[in-house]
Amino acid sequence: MLSLRWVANLPPAESLHGVLDVSARRRLARDISRLASATARSVLSAPAEPVVPAARRIGFTGPPGVGKSTLVGKLVERRAARGISVAVLAVDPASPYSRGAILGDRIRMDAASNDPRVFMRSVSSRDAQDGMCNNVADILCAMEAHGFSEIVLETVGVGQAEHAVKALVDTVVLLMQPETGDAIQALKAGILEVADIIVISKSDLPGAPKMRETLASTVRFGAQRAVGWRVPVLSVSVDSGQGMVELEEALSAHAVWVETHRDPAQARRRRASYRVQDLFARRLEDQLATLAPAEWELPVAELYARVLSGLALD
Amino acid sequence: MSLVGKRILIAKPGLDGHDVGAKIIALALRDAGAEVIYTGLRKAPEYIARIAVEEDVDAVGLSILSGSHVQLVRETMRCLREAQGGNIKLFVGGTIPQEDAAALLEAGATGIFNASQRIEDVIAEMGRQLAAS
Repeated sequence: MLSLRWVANLPPAESLHGVLDVSARRRLARDISRLASATARSVLSAPAEPVVPAARRIGFTGPPGVGKSTLVGKLVERRAARGISVAVLAVDPASPYSRGAILGDRIRMDAASNDPRVFMRSVSSRDAQDGMCNNVADILCAMEAHGFSEIVLETVGVGQAEHAVKALVDTVVLLMQPETGDAIQALKAGILEVADIIVISKSDLPGAPKMRETLASTVRFGAQRAVGWRVPVLSVSVDSGQGMVELEEALSAHAVWVETHRDPAQARRRRASYRVQDLFARRLEDQLATLAPAEWELPVAELYARVLSGLALD
Repeated sequence: MSLVGKRILIAKPGLDGHDVGAKIIALALRDAGAEVIYTGLRKAPEYIARIAVEEDVDAVGLSILSGSHVQLVRETMRCLREAQGGNIKLFVGGTIPQEDAAALLEAGATGIFNASQRIEDVIAEMGRQLAAS
């Protein structure tokens, strides 16, 4: 069985502020690989994580091609230049045919990934159903243990992913592109509700002002308002730099709001619930894989009972 | 040859600006099941080594058409070792004259590929070497 004992070891002092030396960088990279392919069982048998100061976690989500990596690259570059250490985890989908993947986010994060205060890692969603990678919660904790001030989780929006992001980070930034009909799609899918900040990307494109207006009038009546946070809708163009300052201001404002308004117990509950569901889903997959062809012919109630009792044997 | 679970960085060091070959290889590797990270054009060896280590890849494939392959392979290998990535396999492809093969192997490359080879053979050779590692 895979040993995950490293989790219990506090990182050495030199990496405590998120500026990793060569060895710490190597070690964190290795740990992430190990976690990304660890079975549910080995994750469960790992000892509890050390208590470290929590990093601020920001999630970026939105449809493919909307400009997430470009925006994250720029944002991280700006923050690192001000001395903020940032770890980025970018999740890209795997091909359902070959299980392979092209992890292309790095191309857009050039300047940032040269900075010593930045650690950046791309992972494939492999067989995770919700667009995340396996053990994503544990990977974020492993990054956190190295003392970064901020952790950025970037993921393609595929319906359920938005809800996973919501559970795992403090602030969700949802990106939308002008002239894609996304505003209505977003209403249908209910993904606007998870957003703490909405960014209209590529705001130099013609449809941007109209898109912004539509979204701003929509979120005014959204679920977030009930909890006292007014979701900002920002037009951002990484090319021209328009809106970057406003985005950073919105991130700061939301951090303050989280601090003063969000119930930490509820946030912990949400995170724990995501982890248990993630582990359970994989355990269930494994259990289903053990069924014989004849068992699949059983009436569904009987099949269900059989799977349940199989799980109970653990 | 399955490359499922293997992570490979495809990188273009140096100054040439053509990456069609690199992209074809990247796609073929993906289709063989690998997780492929691509750096884009004109990257310094230090940068390539840092990414290789951060991404914890099993291999780096350098695509070089500029003629300075021997120097770039040496330099990349040195940077990889410095970044504690000396165990990462290094492949090189591009316009590589036969007579440079010995120097490249000596510099640390374990596979040398050129445009006259079939893609399937390139992927199979990379798969064979990575299965052994």
